[in-house]
Amino acid sequence: MSIYVYGVTRAPVDLPAGLRGVGDPPSPLRALAAGSLAAVVSAAPERLRARRRDLHAHQNVLLALAEEGPVLPSRFGVVAADAESVDARLRAEQDSYEAALDRVAGRVEMNLKALTVESGLNDLLRQDPRLQRFRQEARRQPGYETSIRLGEAVMAGLTRRARAAVDEGVTALTPLAAEVQPGPEVEGCVRNTSFLVAADQVPEFRRVVEEFASRHSGEVELRVTGPLPCYSFAALPAAAGA
Amino acid sequence: MTVITTDEVVCPPRAGTLYDVLDLILDRGIVIDVFLRVSLVGIEILKIDARIVVASVDTYLRFAEACNRVDLERDSQSRTVPELFGGASSGARKAGAKKAAHAVGQKVKGALGVGDEDGEEEDSEEEPEEKPSRSRSGARTSTSRTRAKTSR
Repeated sequence: MSIYVYGVTRAPVDLPAGLRGVGDPPSPLRALAAGSLAAVVSAAPERLRARRRDLHAHQNVLLALAEEGPVLPSRFGVVAADAESVDARLRAEQDSYEAALDRVAGRVEMNLKALTVESGLNDLLRQDPRLQRFRQEARRQPGYETSIRLGEAVMAGLTRRARAAVDEGVTALTPLAAEVQPGPEVEGCVRNTSFLVAADQVPEFRRVVEEFASRHSGEVELRVTGPLPCYSFAALPAAAGA
Repeated sequence: MTVITTDEVVCPPRAGTLYDVLDLILDRGIVIDVFLRVSLVGIEILKIDARIVVASVDTYLRFAEACNRVDLERDSQSRTVPELFGGASSGARKAGAKKAAHAVGQKVKGALGVGDEDGEEEDSEEEPEEKPSRSRSGARTSTSRTRAKTSR
C-alpha cells in the first residue's frame, strides 16, 4: 500500500493529537522509525490532488511537527511504494538526514515576497525622463501603439523600483538569517526570497521588515510569511542542486 | 502598503498564508529520490495566486491612461494614483482589464475552492488545460506580465 510522506524528523516522534492528514476522509498519521530517524506518513489517498484541504493538511502536519523538533518537510505529493522502501531510504541516508536536521534545528523559514505598487507612479513619472518622453508621444499621437509603449515602460519602471527597494531590504535582513535562498519565480512577484532564521529572531526579523516596508511603501509592497517549516532549507547535500 | 505578518507556529495558517507560500509547498522541500512524486492534476493551476491580475495589454493601457492624468506641474500629493485609476472607471479599457482579472480570479477560485472556508471544495478536474506550462519556465513575456492587486 503506497504511503504519503510528510517529512523526516528524529525518532521517537510524539505525534500531536488531532492532526489531520491528506485525503478525504484523512487517514491516520503514523511515524515510521528507522534508526535515529522517523518519517511521518499516512496511507496515500487513491487520487491525490493539490486540493486546498490537502495542501492545508500537509502544511499543518509539518507546522505541528516543527514545534516538537527539527523536521525536513517533503515537497507536497511525495509518495512511497511501501513502508519498507521508506525504512531502507532512511537507513541508507541517515548521515545526510541527520546533517540536514542539524541545519534546521531551532530555526524556521521566513518567506518574503515583493510586489510592485501603483502608488509610486507619480514619483516614477517625475524621475524618469524616458517615461516623460513616451508620455509626450502618447499625448501628441494618441493611439494604441504609443499607449502600449508608455504602459509597458510604466510597468518596467514600477518593477525596477520595487526590485531595487526589496534588494536593499534583503541586504538589511541577511544578518538576521543563517542562510538566504531565492524562492521559485512567482508570477506577479518581483522578488521571492526565503530566510532561515533562528526561532528567537523571528520578532526582530518582522520588526525590520515592517520598518523597512513603511519607509519604502511608495516603491514596494512586502509580504512576509512565517514561521514556516523549512521547505527551502531541507535539501540533502547530495540533492542540493536538484 | 501591506505587511502581512502571519501566524505563529501554534496557529494553523489562514488561507491567505497558504496561497502566499504555495510556491514553497509545491516546489521546495525534500523529494526522497527513490520515492515517486505523484503527478498531480491541477497542480499548475494552484501556482497562480488568486490575487494576481494578468496584466498584458489591458494593464499597459490602464497605466498609460493613468500617466496622462498625472499633472506633473502640480503637487504630487494632491491626487493619488488610486483616485486617478478610479476616475477612469467608465472607460472601456479599464472595464476590459477588470473583466479579464475577474475571469482569472474566478478560474483560480474554482480550482482552489476559495470562499469555501471549511474546505469542502468541489472537484475541478476539468481545469488542467488552463496552465499547461510551469510558471517559471518562461511563461512571462513582454505581453503577458502580471501584477498583483494590493488589497487583500
